[in-house]
Amino acid sequence: MTNDTKLPNEIRVVMDNGIPAVVVTCSADGSPNATIISHVHYVDESHIALSFQFFNKTIRNVRENPHACVSLNDLRTNTQWILDVQYDHSEAEGPIFDEMDMRIEAIASASGMAGIFKLRAADVYRVKSFKSLNKAAFNR
Amino acid sequence: MTGRESDNDLAEQLARRSAEVEVLRRIALDINATLDLDPIYDVVLRTMDECFGFRHSIILLLEDSNTLRVVASHGYQDQALGGTVEVGIGVIGMVAKRRRLMRVNHLRAQQAYFDRIRSQMQEAGRANELGEVMAVPGLADADSQIAIPLMIKEKLIGVFSVESREPEPFSQHDETLVTIVASQAASAIQNALLYRAGEERRLELAEAHERLKELNETLEERVRTRTRELELVNRDLRETQAQLVRSSTMASLGTLAAGIAHELNTPMGAIHSNADVERRAVGLIRGIVRDPSVASKLGPQPRLERTLKILDEINQITLEAAERVTKIVQSLRSFARLDQPELEWVDLHEGIESTLTLMEHLVKDRVQVVKNFGDLPKVKCFASQINQVFANLLTNAVQAIDGAGTMTITTNQEEAGVVIRVADTGSGIRPEHLERIFDPGFTTKGVGVGTGLGLSITYRIIENHQGSIGVASEPGRGTTFSLRLPITSTR
Repeated sequence: MTNDTKLPNEIRVVMDNGIPAVVVTCSADGSPNATIISHVHYVDESHIALSFQFFNKTIRNVRENPHACVSLNDLRTNTQWILDVQYDHSEAEGPIFDEMDMRIEAIASASGMAGIFKLRAADVYRVKSFKSLNKAAFNR
Repeated sequence: MTGRESDNDLAEQLARRSAEVEVLRRIALDINATLDLDPIYDVVLRTMDECFGFRHSIILLLEDSNTLRVVASHGYQDQALGGTVEVGIGVIGMVAKRRRLMRVNHLRAQQAYFDRIRSQMQEAGRANELGEVMAVPGLADADSQIAIPLMIKEKLIGVFSVESREPEPFSQHDETLVTIVASQAASAIQNALLYRAGEERRLELAEAHERLKELNETLEERVRTRTRELELVNRDLRETQAQLVRSSTMASLGTLAAGIAHELNTPMGAIHSNADVERRAVGLIRGIVRDPSVASKLGPQPRLERTLKILDEINQITLEAAERVTKIVQSLRSFARLDQPELEWVDLHEGIESTLTLMEHLVKDRVQVVKNFGDLPKVKCFASQINQVFANLLTNAVQAIDGAGTMTITTNQEEAGVVIRVADTGSGIRPEHLERIFDPGFTTKGVGVGTGLGLSITYRIIENHQGSIGVASEPGRGTTFSLRLPITSTR
């Protein structure tokens, strides 16, 4: 199933389920990179936000090439969601930033990693399309 | 879903919401009906469990700007009471810091992600970058949590938190319910805290009032006691000052006496020697004149005989005067005893005699001195100090006698000490003055005559020698001072 822009409401639970997501980016010269992130933040039905904590390859890539792919796993239904997204802008303040920052800092502070997990910005992506794959059906 | 099923569903939802509104109304009534904190906590936490299914809940109040303390809890094995959370640490601490509600589902999975990163950093030798893992009160294996700040206007007073072991039991609707209850609870808790603070203040004021009343009642007595203490301190100070002055004076006098004695000894030796030569020369002249061979030639010489007789008499007067000067010099040295500043065995009669010698100009023919000296052993004391006592007592006795009178000095041994009594036939001391005569500065001699320090110093010297001094007086008949000294003073 595919959809161009509007994310369904049930995907919010998947984003919130604590299962790390995979983000795949590609540099300007075409080199791909896959990385795991702890949380995908639901902004609205056509936007998500990813945390920008470390200046890593993912960040470098999307600044060069804004297209990215996000994979989310729903273990309850054994469903994988794949989102095609495009980097839109970064927010270093405001409600989206505050909410993501608060969540990261709350857990990091109790884990003794407050200084390590420090949100630099919330990178907002526009959802170009998405699809969900039922793994059980796929594996049969 | 058919239209009938849809209607039933809506009816159920409506009934549920109505029930919730009723519960919220009841909570509001119950917690605002009391000003005691414990019933408020109990209503809030119990109702959250019984009516909304929130099994584990906790209320923390802000203890200081950086610490929250658990004041009530429900559904925990150890109840977590008294536990603390640092502002900014964990979900509860972050809610307090940001003053915003936080709903976290799948908490364990998120913590697991952080734990994994932590392990990877440790394995990579970056453990020094990691801080301490902080334990926070609550369920150790909570998987979801709603924490909400308890606010009064803009001021944070605490945090209310509910937890669950389920990964996502809390919905947006639950969040709304918790927010409403927390808002009600914050007002009720604040009212109760204000009431309690007011009560504590009232009790403090009542206690302060009682203390003040008690202080007022005892103030006069305290002032009297303090005045007595100050008087004693003042007396000690004056005595010490007087003793210092007198010691300094005595030391100067002693030095002066020693100097005078040394300077007088040489001319006195010359006078003594010359008088002796003169006496022998007169004898020689008289022998020559009376020799028969010379006498037959000179004939009777009555003028020469008279002249020699006068020379004899003058010579005798010179010798007696020289002996008296020598005696005075010895008395001065004995009185001051500068050469013996330590405790020593002293013949008290010698001290009395020396003092009397120095007082002869006061006594003259006016006062008859009667000495009833007993058999006294030597006494271990500071001789110069005891001589000072004798000088004070004897001078007072002589000065008390207006015109002619008698001063009687009696000494004897009693038990382990000696007693010296100095009695005079003077004017006596009035009864109202008797109690004060040993006070420093007290005198009846008039301005410029007495300093009022003599008897005070006497008292202190005798006290230092572990002795005692008493006085008996009859106005118009005379006064007797009785001095007791142990033979061996330990001081």
